[in-house]
Amino acid sequence: MINVKSRTFKSNILILIVLISFLIIFIRFYFLQINQNRKHNLKAGSNSIRKISLYAPRGIIFDRNNESIVDNKPIYDLSIIPFDATDEFDYKGLSRIINFDSTKLKNQILRLKESFYRFKPKVVKRHVDFEIRSIIEESKLRYPGLIFSEFPARTYPSNARMTHVLGYLRIVNDEILKESISTNYQIGDVFGYSGIEKMYESSLRGIDGIEYHLVDIYGIDHGIYSDFDLKQPISGSPIYLTVDNELQEVIENELADKVGAVICMNPNTGEVLAYASSPDYNLNSFTGPVPIDLWQEWKKDRRRPLLNRGIQGLYPPGSTFKIIASAIGIEGNYAHPDWEVNCSGAYVFGDRTFHCWNELGHGKVNLNSAMKYSCNIYFYHLIQKVPFNKWYEMCRKFGFGTPTGIDLFNEKSGSVPNKLYMDNKYTSQGWAMGNLLNFVIGQGDILVTPIQILHMVNLVSTKGNTFSPHLNKNIKKKEVKVSLKKETWEILNYAMNEVVNSKDGTGKTAYIRNHDVHGKTGTAENPHGDDHSWFVGYLIKDDRLLVSTVVIIENGGKGSGIAASIAKTVFSYISKAN
Amino acid sequence: MIKKIYKKSDELIIRWRIILPALLLVTFSLIILRYTSLGMPFVTSSFYKQLIWFFFGSLLFYLFQNIRVQFFQEYAYHFYLIIIFCLVTTYFMPIISGSHRWIKIGLINFQPSEIGKVFLIFTISRFLSENQLKSEQIKNLIFVLLLAFIPAMLVFFQPDFGTSIVYLFVVLPMAFWSGIRSYYIFSIIAPIISTLAAFQLQIFSFWMLVLIIIIFINQPKLKIGVLQFIFNISCGILSPYIWSNFLYQHHRDRISTLLDPMSDPQGAGYQIIQSITAIGSGGLWGKGIGLGTQTQLRYLPVRDTDFIISVIGEEKGIFGILIILFLFSIMFYWIINYSKNISNKFSALSLIGFSYLLFFHLLVNMGMTVGIFPVTGLPAPFLSYGGSFLITCMLILAIINNIINSHI
Repeated sequence: MINVKSRTFKSNILILIVLISFLIIFIRFYFLQINQNRKHNLKAGSNSIRKISLYAPRGIIFDRNNESIVDNKPIYDLSIIPFDATDEFDYKGLSRIINFDSTKLKNQILRLKESFYRFKPKVVKRHVDFEIRSIIEESKLRYPGLIFSEFPARTYPSNARMTHVLGYLRIVNDEILKESISTNYQIGDVFGYSGIEKMYESSLRGIDGIEYHLVDIYGIDHGIYSDFDLKQPISGSPIYLTVDNELQEVIENELADKVGAVICMNPNTGEVLAYASSPDYNLNSFTGPVPIDLWQEWKKDRRRPLLNRGIQGLYPPGSTFKIIASAIGIEGNYAHPDWEVNCSGAYVFGDRTFHCWNELGHGKVNLNSAMKYSCNIYFYHLIQKVPFNKWYEMCRKFGFGTPTGIDLFNEKSGSVPNKLYMDNKYTSQGWAMGNLLNFVIGQGDILVTPIQILHMVNLVSTKGNTFSPHLNKNIKKKEVKVSLKKETWEILNYAMNEVVNSKDGTGKTAYIRNHDVHGKTGTAENPHGDDHSWFVGYLIKDDRLLVSTVVIIENGGKGSGIAASIAKTVFSYISKAN
Repeated sequence: MIKKIYKKSDELIIRWRIILPALLLVTFSLIILRYTSLGMPFVTSSFYKQLIWFFFGSLLFYLFQNIRVQFFQEYAYHFYLIIIFCLVTTYFMPIISGSHRWIKIGLINFQPSEIGKVFLIFTISRFLSENQLKSEQIKNLIFVLLLAFIPAMLVFFQPDFGTSIVYLFVVLPMAFWSGIRSYYIFSIIAPIISTLAAFQLQIFSFWMLVLIIIIFINQPKLKIGVLQFIFNISCGILSPYIWSNFLYQHHRDRISTLLDPMSDPQGAGYQIIQSITAIGSGGLWGKGIGLGTQTQLRYLPVRDTDFIISVIGEEKGIFGILIILFLFSIMFYWIINYSKNISNKFSALSLIGFSYLLFFHLLVNMGMTVGIFPVTGLPAPFLSYGGSFLITCMLILAIINNIINSHI
């Protein structure tokens, strides 16, 4: 009996041990499956459902004649999944196709095979193009575990480079993500970093699609996971530029070995027909986003290819600025057409002697001939009759000191001095009329961008009814109106005509027979070297205002030389095309 | 000789209270395997293989019903010698998947440590049933532990950590049943717990408190009590010290790898993480059979064998786990309950040994899938895929059914 009793006790103990153990196990399962269910569900989800981004093609960029100048082509990132890379993997063979250290990579992959990250693709080479991919795919069996992931890139089918207009793409990285306000980007996305690509990023970009795939541990795709709705990518909208591809090419060829900028516009509409800044860089010279080392190289280049000279290059305007003085002279009745000045080649003002460019002198000059010869002495006399603030107001009216508003980033304002500026810089006693004598001929503290000079001439050629410069054909044009007396415009136009068409005009290099070319040359004194050569002008054919153009060649010498000759090439081309 | 082994019985009694839960568990397992091996060809499909093994097992079950229980007792020590011989033989066999577990005879790979579990229980049952002197309890306990220790060590170095632990631990409930003072058994386990608990201070402090209380209640001689306490506390203090100061990293790695002979430490960690994720994402009702994203997409390695509980946890949720625990509870309850009513010491001890053998397997396996035990490679009885083990489990079931029929 005692035996049975003790057996009952012992069996109860043993059963109790089983049940308590089961309870502990159950509590652990309950904790995982009920309490932590959400957490593990999320983890399970990210484990096996892979989000696949379907890259939206970026918008294509066309020129004014609907020729594509920026298009898309896929490039590829080449990676190896360490787990799948067997001993048969031909590292040497692969290294012959793409450049890398095969033993180093082999060791890396072998190490990764042992680690927790054996299923994570290791990037071997970025931005491989389609041709290299095809070569590798031909012998794919020799490279088990090798995968390609597609990556969007740009291609430039046109002969015109248009570097500074188009801009380039870069990859979003940590730094850029921190800077930008927009949260729509992820690391690894591309974005427009400069030029039109940046300006119209939001419409060019499109919306990436999303697909959820069930993926197993070997990375094998088990198809679309239907519980999530897939989002088709929406391609970016195309951009139609105002630029003429062929004209651009002509100009780029002219500029090829020079440093400077040329811009052509239609003054009637504000459309930029061509825009070149030299030196530039070749957007087709690399695949995919700009490699960081190449970009550093551009940055270090002493010729500064990254500088967009058309809107960022700050130059003294030189004699082109005499247009402003003439305008205020006529508008304010300071310079009657009959008012004459005797130019002897030099002008003594106070204790300083100011020279005309022609040291022999121009003799008796009125406004018209002063413009034609670009006579400094005339304008020295004129500016003494004009109050400083009147001259300054006229500068502002023609858009100096503010950006023209072209649809490109980082346009410079330049600077036009006024009384306040001079007082701040030199104190009120530190400057005098002598400084103004410099300003009137576009020297001294005045700095302008080429596009500002062109904008001034657009106003002159349209008699004060133009539009602000723009590159996108389909944006709303912004009207720019300057109301001056009709007489003022006519005299200015006539004077600019004389500059080119008169036998002794400074701009006669730009002369084209049977055409009505107007222009003004400029020679900007450069303390660091040879003078910069300016030409700005416009072409009228059969009473139609066709094109305006500005040319600046750094260290190009006199405006009457190289700048005028490039302008002539532009005008001839336009004339033939029309 | 034949008559000695076989008995003639008129009808086959099946103890459904024990057999039915087992059958339900096997069915459950087959349903799960049906889906994990979906689309696989016949020869590699674990479902069909397991089904075939199950039929073999059923046949074996039937054959074993006519064996006399006395035969097991009479030849228990012979079995013991056979198993030691077989285990030694494994070391002269070619290595299969990194271990010396197998004996290869022709085409058949035979794993002696599996059947060794059964034989060891018979050996210990016989020894304990024949040596009951109260005055020799300590001596007897040490002797049975030694009996288990020899094959356990042979298995440990195969290496098969899980099975060797089972060999040692299965002795304890049997010793308890045979009437050896629980305090002696406790004294054996205490240093092991001290060593393991030492890695976390709170647990260790709590354990020391429990130790003092138990020593106090059992009132051994003062000198022995104090010595026992000092021994335990030194185990606790020394183990982390030795672990971190006297072992090189590769030693530690080797010990960790010993705990998991299947793969490297990172691999083991990977399995546990995936298993916990699978189970945790199962929730209340699970994702449905064949719909577990973790298991069906092969994020979970060895899902058919060691981690089949994770598949159940993911696809049937905590509901499935509850069913499994419930079925096993019924099975263990009745086995232990029957042994209570059997006066034959050898038979009762065998039943206790077998029930706890299955119980340890289940406990360690389930604990492993949720990360509270290390990965030891112990399968879950009746559930895990694997011919050797299923046959062993069904053999155990057959012997249990036979023993009960012989006495009740």
